[in-house]
Amino acid sequence: MVENNNLKEHSVAEFFKKNRHMLGLFGKLRSLTTIVHEFVANSIDACEEAGVLPEIEVKLVKLGEEHFEVHVIDNGPGIDEKNLSKALGKLLVGTKFHRLIQMRGQQGIGASGCILFSQMTTGKPTKVISGNNCKSVYMELGINVERNEPLISSKKYLDKEFKGLAISSEFKEVDYQDSNQNALEYLKRTAIANPHVTIKFLDPFNKMFVFERSVNVIPPKPLEINPHIKSVDTDTLLTNAKSSDAKTVIGYMKDTYDRVGDRFFEDLQKSLGKDLNLKDMTKKELDWGKSEKIVKAIQKTKTISPKTDALIPISEDSLTLSIKNILKPEIFYVLTRKPTTYKGGFPFVVEVAISYGGNSGRLLKDGSVKSEIMRFANRTPLLFDPGACAITNAVNSINWKRYHIRDFENEPITIIVNLCSVHIPYTSVGKQAVAEEQEIIDEIKLALMTAARQISNYISRKMKHGLKLERKKMFERYSYEIARALEILTGTKQAELLPKIEEIILKKLELEEEQEQKENKEIKEELEENVIDEEKKEETKTGKLKDKKLNEFSEE
Amino acid sequence: MRNEKSLKELEKLGQDTLKMITKKEPPYVELPVRSLSNIFFDEKSKTIKMGDKTSKRYFLNTAHTRKYAQTISIASEIKKIIKEDATISIRDLYYALKHTLKGSKENLLENQSESDPILEDLEATLGLLREELNLTASTKGVIAGSLTVKDGKDIIDLGKMGSGGWGVPSNVEPETIDIKNVDADFVLFIEKDAVWKRFNEDKFWQKHKCIIITGKGQPARAERRLVQRFNKEFNLPVYALMDADPWGFYIYSVIKRGSISLSYSEEKLATPDTKYIGLTVSDVEKYKIPDNVTIKLNDEDTKRIKEMKDYPWFKNKAWQNELDLMKKRNYKLELEALSRKGIRFITEEYLPDKIKNKDFLP
Repeated sequence: MVENNNLKEHSVAEFFKKNRHMLGLFGKLRSLTTIVHEFVANSIDACEEAGVLPEIEVKLVKLGEEHFEVHVIDNGPGIDEKNLSKALGKLLVGTKFHRLIQMRGQQGIGASGCILFSQMTTGKPTKVISGNNCKSVYMELGINVERNEPLISSKKYLDKEFKGLAISSEFKEVDYQDSNQNALEYLKRTAIANPHVTIKFLDPFNKMFVFERSVNVIPPKPLEINPHIKSVDTDTLLTNAKSSDAKTVIGYMKDTYDRVGDRFFEDLQKSLGKDLNLKDMTKKELDWGKSEKIVKAIQKTKTISPKTDALIPISEDSLTLSIKNILKPEIFYVLTRKPTTYKGGFPFVVEVAISYGGNSGRLLKDGSVKSEIMRFANRTPLLFDPGACAITNAVNSINWKRYHIRDFENEPITIIVNLCSVHIPYTSVGKQAVAEEQEIIDEIKLALMTAARQISNYISRKMKHGLKLERKKMFERYSYEIARALEILTGTKQAELLPKIEEIILKKLELEEEQEQKENKEIKEELEENVIDEEKKEETKTGKLKDKKLNEFSEE
Repeated sequence: MRNEKSLKELEKLGQDTLKMITKKEPPYVELPVRSLSNIFFDEKSKTIKMGDKTSKRYFLNTAHTRKYAQTISIASEIKKIIKEDATISIRDLYYALKHTLKGSKENLLENQSESDPILEDLEATLGLLREELNLTASTKGVIAGSLTVKDGKDIIDLGKMGSGGWGVPSNVEPETIDIKNVDADFVLFIEKDAVWKRFNEDKFWQKHKCIIITGKGQPARAERRLVQRFNKEFNLPVYALMDADPWGFYIYSVIKRGSISLSYSEEKLATPDTKYIGLTVSDVEKYKIPDNVTIKLNDEDTKRIKEMKDYPWFKNKAWQNELDLMKKRNYKLELEALSRKGIRFITEEYLPDKIKNKDFLP
């Protein structure tokens, strides 16, 4: 016997309650980092939208075994009372879900997902204070899971003026450890990729970290753009038709998609052949079968590359300042590539930085330093699943030895890669790894090779210097032996001999230095030409690959 | 005085170095090249001799620095020893100098194989033997025969040394070892200790009026020097009894002509009159030795045969035939293989027959 209520509809909240891994809320360490990420990303986005330089305070308090309280306070505009409970107490309420705009959170389930997680693990509501330079409102907030509705358990107005949003939420089944995947690392990387943000962090051991902003300019707002016509699929073409005011299919496509002009429709009609006549086709006539045919024809039709205006990279200047400020390297090089597209339709920009020495690399407990790769997607740090990520693979495919980085794993190097796109191709819902799109990998590789070339000269000079010092030390070690032996053989005192031997050593090293500089001058240009040639070869190789792909695309 | 001469040479080395340092020039020592490229076969003495090629060992050449410091240090240590009028072994010398370099974990000498070749360098460059530098090398050779020696104040009858024989001391120069009452017609230089024991047990030296000596494999210089003295001072012919393999041939070659690394002193060590009495591959037919006691040649053997065919003293018909035959038959054999014909076959039949027929290789 099946009872009727077993067939009841599940709410989105209920779905996510059962599938919390989709929100990145799995694993004790990972969950806590994800929670901090969701709140902080929301705060930065809110501040930027309001034109405020973000100042975020994060505090983690350990309440018990695997039991933490998370405080996040920003200086943004807050959320007005009417929308506050909905924005945080209802899943999938974000304003960005159906827009092609480069933003940190893409699905609007982040913060409310965390509040749901808090409720699931502690049974307690989340405390929120919101204000915008006037009376502020205090709320204790949960989620009615069955109805996916906010559940306000307490609400009052505070006399104190407050500007911003303050969230305090308790969690169990989470943990904090010294790790390169913890909240501290997340916040540090966030500060590097967002030089206009100041972040203060109090860790569970009561240690304070402050990452001061390096620039006082809020990055320009990304423009909203229509999706490029080549990125459309059958279902989207059909569904979006409903929300357009146009009557004809051509009219609908023109106002919904990017890069569709009369020339495009001429070509599209050629691709469609006599099967289907687009002209005068009304939206009502559009069904699944026709939509499928149109999408297939679109793939065969030549299109103009998408607009890249919507992409806002960190910029070379800003990244330079934040690297200087936070990594304090001996040397570094920052590079932003020109925008391009992958899969023929999605614009993206790659930014890289190679930072050497100073606080670069990851300091281990035993005092040794390992290289580290900082991955970012639209300025958001990707801390998890490094092995599955196209960025990691691109970094590892570089022949670092060519750039005098002999032992890449064990050098004080930080590699920063930021991928900007309106649509980052993540490998999974956890949004921590970028999929292997050849165009993206090629761009990252080219950027890294160019930056590595700049770094390599410095490193090679440094290594040579190290070798020279080592040699000098060796000569000196043995000079004591020679002085001792000569005193026995000749009777001349060691004290008299040693300064003379030292002088001979110094003279010899100076002579070598001069000789080397002379030779260096002669071979330097030749050498540089060689490296550039090699890279050009590689560039044409990947370039050809790209052309080939594009050709395949239009010939299909 | 001999030691005054050594002291003078060592002090000169010190003064030369001091001069370079005072002139602010990077110091170096000039050493004769002790390698194949700098030896030649001297027709007059019929031994290997060192040529006049030299190389410089520089303090400030990274590849030389360590060796340079070791060379000067060893020279200074030897001066100390001579001053104290002591004689020490080359192993003592190694330990006396083994110490850690200032500000490092590195030792001036890590093991004796570092100090030994440098000592040889010094011998070659100073033109002095290690014995003249108050140094001794450990020896392992033994000897027996009808003769007496005076070693210091002790007079020793080498015919009454029992089954072990007399251990050859490291310094056998006439100043130390006086040889007397020699009642022998020849010297038999045996490669292997086990075979020497067979000859001693059978009192071969008594029956055949000879001196038997072994260096237990590659002989030390004392054994070679002693044999040279028997040959030069008492006109005794020297016969070498070796395994019929490239290694045995090589030891014979060192006894007769000298070695590359000691080429600077071979005039005092080699015995060019030495004759090769056995064992040879052609003996297999001559003495009806069964095939199954032979050993197949390995790659190293084949390589050595090829090299030896080019040695000037093997450039005669007899040796070329022997080397070709060994290569053709692709086998070698040990002296002990003769035991297959009976344990006393070697002392009672094989060797007397060889001596009687003067069946030698040159």
